[in-house]
Amino acid sequence: MDPAMTPLGKMLLEEITPVVMVISTPAVEETCLKNGLSFLQMLTPFCSFNNIDVPVRTASDQPYRIHKFKLRLFYGSDVKKPNLKVAEQQLKQVITDSGEKVFSELCLDVPGFNHEVASSEDRDTPSWFQFFNKELVRVASFSDHEAFDHPVACLLAVSSKDEHPISRFVDLFNTNKLPSLLKDGSMDPKILKHYLLVHDNQDGPADRASKILTEMRNTFGTSDSLLLSVNSSPDVPIKHQDNPWASQIYNVPPNQDLGCFLNIDDINEIKDLMQDLSSKHIIPNMEQKIRLLNQQVSATRKGFKNQIKNLWWRKGKEDGVDSLNGPTYNFNSIESQIRVLGDYAFMLRDYELALSNYRLISTDYKIDKAWKRYAGVQEMMGLTYFMLDQSKKEAEYCMENAFNTYLKLGLLGQQNATRCGLWWIEMLKARDLYKEAATVYFRICGEDILHSAVMLEQASYCYLLSKPSMSRKYGFHLVLSGEQYKKCDQIKHAIRTYRSALSVFRGTTWSYINDHVHFHIGQWYAALDMYDVAVKHMMEILACSHQSKTTQELFLSDFLQVVEKTGRTFEVTKLQLPVINISSLKVIFEDHRTFGSSSVATNTKEALWRSLEEDMIPSFTAAKTNWLELQSKLISKKHTLSNVCVAGEAVKVNIEFINPLQITIPVSGVTLICEYSTSTDELTSDEKELSVKTNNEVDHFRDMSSYNSSFLVSEVDFSLGGGETTMVQLSVTPKEVGTLEILGVRWKLSGTIVGFHNFELSHPKKNIVNGRRKAKRPPNEKFKFMVIKSIPKIQGSVHSLPGKAYAGDLRKLMLELKNPSEFPVKNLKMKINHPRFLIIGNQENVKLEFPGCLTKTIGSVQTGANANPNLMSETIFSFPVDTSIQGETPLSWPLWFRAAVPGDISLYMSIYYEIEDISSVIRYRTLRLHYNVQVLPSLDVSFQISPSRLRIQDFLVQLDVVNKTSSESFQVYQLSSIGQHWEISLLQPPDTIFPSQTLMAGQAISCFFTLKNSRRLSTLENNISTMPVGSDVLLVPQCSQDLVYNSNNVPLVNFHHYERLQQKALHEDLGDLNTVDFVLISRPLNNSINPGLSDPPHVMSHHACHLSTASTGPISWLVDGPQTLHHDFSASFCEINLKMHLYNSSETTAFVHIDTIDLDSSGGHINSVNALPSATPDNQVGWHDVTPVNELKVSSNAIETQPGKALLLESVSPYIWSATSSTNIHLEPMSPAEVPLQICVFSPGTYDLSNYFLNWKLPSKGLGDSDETRQHSGKCQGYKYYLTVLQSP
Amino acid sequence: MIVCVAVVGHQNNPLYIQSFTEADDALKLHHIVHCSLDVVDERVNNPKKSGPMLNETFLGMLYPIENYKVYGYLTNTKVKFILVTTDLDVKDADVRNFFRRFHSAYVDAVSNPFHVPGKKITSRTFAERVSTIVKSFGFSSAA
Repeated sequence: MDPAMTPLGKMLLEEITPVVMVISTPAVEETCLKNGLSFLQMLTPFCSFNNIDVPVRTASDQPYRIHKFKLRLFYGSDVKKPNLKVAEQQLKQVITDSGEKVFSELCLDVPGFNHEVASSEDRDTPSWFQFFNKELVRVASFSDHEAFDHPVACLLAVSSKDEHPISRFVDLFNTNKLPSLLKDGSMDPKILKHYLLVHDNQDGPADRASKILTEMRNTFGTSDSLLLSVNSSPDVPIKHQDNPWASQIYNVPPNQDLGCFLNIDDINEIKDLMQDLSSKHIIPNMEQKIRLLNQQVSATRKGFKNQIKNLWWRKGKEDGVDSLNGPTYNFNSIESQIRVLGDYAFMLRDYELALSNYRLISTDYKIDKAWKRYAGVQEMMGLTYFMLDQSKKEAEYCMENAFNTYLKLGLLGQQNATRCGLWWIEMLKARDLYKEAATVYFRICGEDILHSAVMLEQASYCYLLSKPSMSRKYGFHLVLSGEQYKKCDQIKHAIRTYRSALSVFRGTTWSYINDHVHFHIGQWYAALDMYDVAVKHMMEILACSHQSKTTQELFLSDFLQVVEKTGRTFEVTKLQLPVINISSLKVIFEDHRTFGSSSVATNTKEALWRSLEEDMIPSFTAAKTNWLELQSKLISKKHTLSNVCVAGEAVKVNIEFINPLQITIPVSGVTLICEYSTSTDELTSDEKELSVKTNNEVDHFRDMSSYNSSFLVSEVDFSLGGGETTMVQLSVTPKEVGTLEILGVRWKLSGTIVGFHNFELSHPKKNIVNGRRKAKRPPNEKFKFMVIKSIPKIQGSVHSLPGKAYAGDLRKLMLELKNPSEFPVKNLKMKINHPRFLIIGNQENVKLEFPGCLTKTIGSVQTGANANPNLMSETIFSFPVDTSIQGETPLSWPLWFRAAVPGDISLYMSIYYEIEDISSVIRYRTLRLHYNVQVLPSLDVSFQISPSRLRIQDFLVQLDVVNKTSSESFQVYQLSSIGQHWEISLLQPPDTIFPSQTLMAGQAISCFFTLKNSRRLSTLENNISTMPVGSDVLLVPQCSQDLVYNSNNVPLVNFHHYERLQQKALHEDLGDLNTVDFVLISRPLNNSINPGLSDPPHVMSHHACHLSTASTGPISWLVDGPQTLHHDFSASFCEINLKMHLYNSSETTAFVHIDTIDLDSSGGHINSVNALPSATPDNQVGWHDVTPVNELKVSSNAIETQPGKALLLESVSPYIWSATSSTNIHLEPMSPAEVPLQICVFSPGTYDLSNYFLNWKLPSKGLGDSDETRQHSGKCQGYKYYLTVLQSP
Repeated sequence: MIVCVAVVGHQNNPLYIQSFTEADDALKLHHIVHCSLDVVDERVNNPKKSGPMLNETFLGMLYPIENYKVYGYLTNTKVKFILVTTDLDVKDADVRNFFRRFHSAYVDAVSNPFHVPGKKITSRTFAERVSTIVKSFGFSSAA
């Protein structure tokens, strides 16, 4: 690549060119000012030549040609080091101007802010950098340490109007007015002079001018004297098509036409003048000077001798002045001459020569410690290397060296360092070493904040352009630069840089950085009074949950301030505060399903209701065809898909608001945005609306949220604490028939900013509660409702249903139904999901007084209330046909409640009713009520039944009651047995069991009852469904008869029925007829009512059903005989007759086989047999001997057994079974039998008559009998039966 | 002294960033860590520079800025660990050792079944472990 074609090369060809000093008289300026130009400005455009052909020869006579050339013109007064302050001011102006310009461009695409991504167009480096850099370079010009800024020629201009022009020419080049460079001897004052006479054609003909010219030629020489005539155009100003001056001059008043009096001839004249000047005078002059200097240099420095001399001489000087600048060199010192030679060679593009001279001088300066000069030479060496396209390393090394040396000089070298750095950067850029360039930019950043801001920004672009592009560093440096811009009040630049940086950080999770950037952009925009954009940016950072509390407060307060400054309520669509949890969105509406309360709709599952109502409502398909046929004319097919709601009934939307911040935010005016249209044809215009919506959402929403008479929306205010989540219920109530669509929600944050949230645009999936809809429904259909005309809606509630109850609690509740509308409803039905907990009563029950109605009144026989218990098996309760609810009077209906089991119980009630108005779309509705009851455990009741040893078909019942509550005390009041002819009685009087009559919390008690089966064979046909009869035992000292609770009364009997059904599932032996049900009734003690329960229970019932009495198998038997008898053993052995009573409690004929075993088969054998059943006492289906002695904990019995066992061990007196050793009988079902037994005893003693076995067998039911748990045969050891025989006296 | 450690996920999303300075320079450190990712990328994409250490997880010093030195470490799951320190003469071995311990702490933290991969590490145990590792950083060189 040609180095001259690179940006740096071009720059060097422009900047390092010969300088021509221009000195003019005021009259010349005056002439030029007519054109709005200074003399210098007038000439400048014609100073660069792209198309000349000047032959040049190098010092060593090598010919070459120069095609491109440029002169730099400066007024004599400007040939000096630029004033830093002025320069700085200028630079600042440049930055500010460009800031304005770029910013205004930026503002144009503010609307598209969100789409703007830093893809391609953003990445071009701003053009004003070039200009800025050029200005920076210029600041360092006219330094005395380098020669390329030294004027090579002087152009003296005198107007023809001037008096004594010749003397004026002489005066102009007076040493007093010459720039310091020439005066102080750092450059040769003997430079090429050119004398120019300027003639204004408007002042008249050029006669006088030509006269002066001849005079000049005589005085200064022909070749150096020239005449320039200008302003030749007539009085009419000319407009130049492409004004050559336009690009040169800034701050032109727009009405000013530059060069308006210069016609084509004038311009051509100027052109020729300048070209002549450069090609005929300056270049040859420079060439000549190069030769001259080269000779001198060769003479003094080239060659071995000179080198030695030079070295020696320099060494000697070492002790000289060691100032920071090193020694001063004036123009005729050899060092200066070498430098001039180098620079001239460079300007004439003889780089080889330049380089050799630079090299030569560089060491000298280094030895002399003339650091600034050394750096300058190094810099030039670097550039020369670059232009030669030789060793890149060398070039860079030189630049770095120069840069560092300049930096070392501190303030003195600051500008030079910047210039050097910029050239170095360009050099690096030319080689695609952008990353390195960026670091150099970073190093250029000096103390001047504004400069460093610009440099940092340029560095950032370098990072972006480097390969691979380092976008993060780009962002970082942009942010740094923005900071700096901000510091020097260049807000517009700051905003620009930050916005570019945004493109890097947007979409990343580096939230701290993101917040910082957005926040500052917002602040700065606000500072520029551009509040709209400021708000937009501030909004991005509102939901900054990761920030500290103070930061959050700062963000929010700043945001609100900005919003306040806008002076209006701001309306935005993407307000992030508070966050809306769209997945929590639930729409509740009532079509044919209505709800007792809104919580019912949200917290219950539709499927549950559906299954509950399945039998009650007309089948869905049937209903659909029905009303489609009926209504097909009224409703378009599309409408059948949309939801239906009733005018006057609110559609509710539950939505969650989340505050992500740690600070409290006030939210007010939360309302739904709805759209209402009267006609049903509106649907066709949907597409149109949709496009409107996307175009200008905010406006659209604003329109929508304006007051509309056809529906009412609710408004909610709340305040969200830090991190809180609030569920808000919003509602809209349509008032007229038509179409209603819910579009979104709006709210006001802190009273100033209004946020909108469109439901559609968010999640594609909605959580609709009442979803009986197709999956393919377009999403906005879910929020679209067809409003139909008002139809009756029943409101209902259950009164006095406790939230908490103890298990067993029995209450009467009242269901109240109201129909506020004037239309009647009919055909009421009701269903409850838990009949075990809740039973629908009868109309008559309303009058019943609870709990008095439960007690047995003396006179009352079983009333008709329970005459028809089968009614309860029907799960749907139909209200009487004549039931109608209308107007103010509510319908009250009794319900019986019993807390059956502990736990959290959900009670679902659904009430179905039909609307008499046939024309309505909805023909029936259901009212859904849902209640939660927490049932606490109260009394734990368990029964154990064992056969009595005393009488066959008698049972001993052990009742264990444990109070499981923590504080409650109960009175165990009554035990009733329900079953077939069971009679129950207490073993002991109640006083002994319950001396205190209460069961305290945590207490347990056991008591025993005898249970008698009074059934006879004839009652066999009675089955369970017959009217239950029972017997009751009061467990408290009897005070008055009428307080006995009748377990056959409503509702106890009903609940008992459901308990039976429920417990049936638990008990497998369904076929067992010998089961007994118990109902234990307890009462809480009034003095210990827990205040936590609002309504204390009155009566509690505990049901235990299907308790099997036949725990010993279907066969029960009893050996009957004397306990003690006297016999005179001296006379004979004793024969004792015994009787075995057998009873078959099964439904089939049983085969029973009794084996008696004589004692011969050793006692150990008996023991082992005894041990066998006792080893498996837990096996409920197996046979085991439930010895009452072990079970009974009554102390007296326990003492009895101990000696009994001892006796057995001591006296092993033999006895023998003397009757048949084996008996087989068939036992008819439900029938007793007797088997005679006889033993012989030979000596007095106590005998255990248990060594017999009873085998029984039931006929197998065949294949159909899958009930494996039932035993068909068994073998039992005989019961212990002790017989004491005494010697008769 | 270590002023900042960070864990950055394979999509260059910050998983954990913790500064150990009193000053309120979280933003600056965020920027530094964020920038150093560029260098990590560069190192990873130009393997020829790091030729012999192709399988090396330790990336060495990423870049020196003002008063800080930034070191990097890349796990085989492309998770980056960044260490920002103010120490001017740090032994490579120390940094390696630090990263090794930091890595194992990280592995333990993400092995938690309740940790969602790609989400920020919120484990308090991890934070405690990291701070002990950081505290012991200076002393290990003495030992």
